[in-house]
Amino acid sequence: MINRRVRYEIVSRALGPTLVAMERWRSRLRGRRGGRTEGPFGPPLESTRKLKELTTLHYLTGRFADGAVPVAWVTSGFPVEVLRPLGFHTVYPENHGAICSVKRIVPELSEAVEREGYSRDLCGYARADLGSVATGKTPVGRLPRPDLLCCCTNICQTVLYWYRALAAHFRVPLVIIDTPFVYGEARPHLLAYVADQLRELTEIAERVAGRKVDRAALIETMRLAREGTRLWDECLRAGRARPSPWTGFDSFFHLAPIVAMRGTPECNAYYRMLRDELNERVARGVGGIADERVRLLWDNLPIWFNLRDLSTLLARNGFNIVCATYTNAWAEAGSMIDPADPEGSSARAYVHVLLNRDLPYKLSIMKRLCREYGATGAIFHSDRSCKPYSIGQIDLKGRLASEAGVKGLLLEADHADPRSWSEAQAYNRIHAFMELFA
Amino acid sequence: MRSATISAQKKLGRKTVAVLPVHYPRELFTAMDVHTVELWGPPGPPRGPDAGRIQPYACAVVRNALAFLASGGADAADAVLFPHTCDSIQGLATLAPDFGGWGKPALRYLHPKGGDGTAARAFVRAELAHLAGELTRLTGRPLAIPRLAEAIELHARIDRLRGELLSRRAFLDRTDHALYRLLRRGEFLGSGDHLAELTVAAQGIGEERAQRGVPLMITGYVPEPMTLFDSLASAGAYVAADDYAAVGRRVPLSPPADGGDPLDTLAAKAFMMPPCPTRGGDQDVRMAYLETLYRRSGAAGLIVHVQKFCEPELFDVPAIRRRFARIGAPMLYLEGELENSLSGQVVTRLEAFVEMVGAGRKAP
Repeated sequence: MINRRVRYEIVSRALGPTLVAMERWRSRLRGRRGGRTEGPFGPPLESTRKLKELTTLHYLTGRFADGAVPVAWVTSGFPVEVLRPLGFHTVYPENHGAICSVKRIVPELSEAVEREGYSRDLCGYARADLGSVATGKTPVGRLPRPDLLCCCTNICQTVLYWYRALAAHFRVPLVIIDTPFVYGEARPHLLAYVADQLRELTEIAERVAGRKVDRAALIETMRLAREGTRLWDECLRAGRARPSPWTGFDSFFHLAPIVAMRGTPECNAYYRMLRDELNERVARGVGGIADERVRLLWDNLPIWFNLRDLSTLLARNGFNIVCATYTNAWAEAGSMIDPADPEGSSARAYVHVLLNRDLPYKLSIMKRLCREYGATGAIFHSDRSCKPYSIGQIDLKGRLASEAGVKGLLLEADHADPRSWSEAQAYNRIHAFMELFA
Repeated sequence: MRSATISAQKKLGRKTVAVLPVHYPRELFTAMDVHTVELWGPPGPPRGPDAGRIQPYACAVVRNALAFLASGGADAADAVLFPHTCDSIQGLATLAPDFGGWGKPALRYLHPKGGDGTAARAFVRAELAHLAGELTRLTGRPLAIPRLAEAIELHARIDRLRGELLSRRAFLDRTDHALYRLLRRGEFLGSGDHLAELTVAAQGIGEERAQRGVPLMITGYVPEPMTLFDSLASAGAYVAADDYAAVGRRVPLSPPADGGDPLDTLAAKAFMMPPCPTRGGDQDVRMAYLETLYRRSGAAGLIVHVQKFCEPELFDVPAIRRRFARIGAPMLYLEGELENSLSGQVVTRLEAFVEMVGAGRKAP
């Protein structure tokens, strides 16, 4: 245990940062600046390199985490703040699933669990994660074994079934924060229920970690989480400028710290840097794409395995995704966090996430985003892997058109699995959509 | 049949609520003189164009339900109840009332997921009180606690008889089709009428074994299409144990506690039910339950009958497969589609499975 802890600390504090610094130095030597360097895009964001370093360090440290510090596997919408003061290393299987998708290994991982009986109709993140657990294959080297599984149903109920399967596999405690769906406004007893579960979570997490939560440290984590949310919002708001200093595809990648490192100083430092760079680009009139003609909203998760080709196709034709319901979701609910009331305010914040709310609310968010970001079109990613995000899109598309004059395209795909993607058909539809703006 | 029942109930001055699957507190409705009619799709092709408002990769229960509601199929009902069953029903619960398809009151019942601790129990109690308030608004009458106590007693008798008919299946001289038709009439009959039918049926449980075919256990969401049972019978098998969400999983594992606050008793019932993936809960506990059910029934094989795109059921399939492989139980996986009738291919697979299991039983 002590040896492992020493090794973990060496990797996280010395070896990891050194390796990252060496890679940065080598990269500079080669004259590579990271990201896109030519084509229809603007100059690449300098912050992207720092993002890669953060991500690399996180996963590198994770390789040595089990046995050294308590490890929790956590859903993206989980109220993670209570775990931070207890020293948990957190792993986000959804984030890992996105990496697997970008690396195009989801089919291989998925097929491994399809042979066990998992249906191909299930969420691609879940299949990728369970496949990675079954085969040990991962593009990040190694994922640490969890001591605790933490699942919050505010993003979907799929995570509940997925984490039940993980719990049966790993034989470790599973904490479920059940956040009943909000129709209209959350009723008081619903908020009380979630706050009560958060107290139960604290007891279990303390037992697993072997120590008590330091209240002052928790309050500081809450403050950092709220500040991180605000900083992320400021980054997104830079996209209101014309031209937008980045693309929605950039923002999908830069979302990672607010999802996986929320409540840490590193997360906030990163977003200060990104915000400053974006504002500086705005001041200089530098766009995410070279010639921005049409501004679009994106709905649903990204198509991770096809981001480069899709963004290139749109950029070549002067179309820029300037806002997305998905990235905006991480800028909204966190503002409700109040460090003075960790449980009560967390309950309110984590219940009121986009995916846990009714369609009129979603429509109001879309209208506001289109208005504030000047989007005249919207791409609705009809995501075979994410039913809760996709149900209602057909009506939302029609209402956004009739009530806000925003033209919409329903694009059939999958956020993780390229086997559910028909490129020729999809691009044909995108071309037809773009012609509407001629 | 459903229409006639609704008309008859309306003549008695009762309001009608159409109910989406699966779990909801029927006792509360009975106590408040509200007639419930469950809406499991309905099966068959969608009854209108509104199914196209939901992508085809969502389950047919919600697509068909939206089409049915929007085409006026449930207009005789005064409200719809959407239990918090899965992401798809949760989505339908805002799509139909908020964006068109259902213009009358929409009620929601948010049962907890996963936990059975203090927080979950308090939440169920609060949800029941909230739902009672909604029903008061609908009927214009408040909940009378003595009536709730009576309703709990009535449904306990119904549950006991349903449990008896399922657990003593081998001694009941009825076809599976007839038994399931009887049990599923509880989805729309008035509680008293259903109790009367069950009472008569239970009198048919004899001392002698009445079923001689290959005993099978079946698990899944909803027994549709019902011709499945005809195919099983033709192949020489019968259902010895049931774990359908629509049927067996709605029979509590123990009777309600006597005395106390009826709302507390009703809340406690939510935690006495067989494991159901739509409620969350430990997967190992469910597997142990299924194994016990299988062994107790003397079943010789298991059919996993899952509706396509039904995530709660689909996620448990590998665990079921592992568990039953470990105990050497043959298993057949059937993926059904609510819109379609049983294909010849499926019938052939059923026949082959029954033949294989039957041959295994005869072997020394």
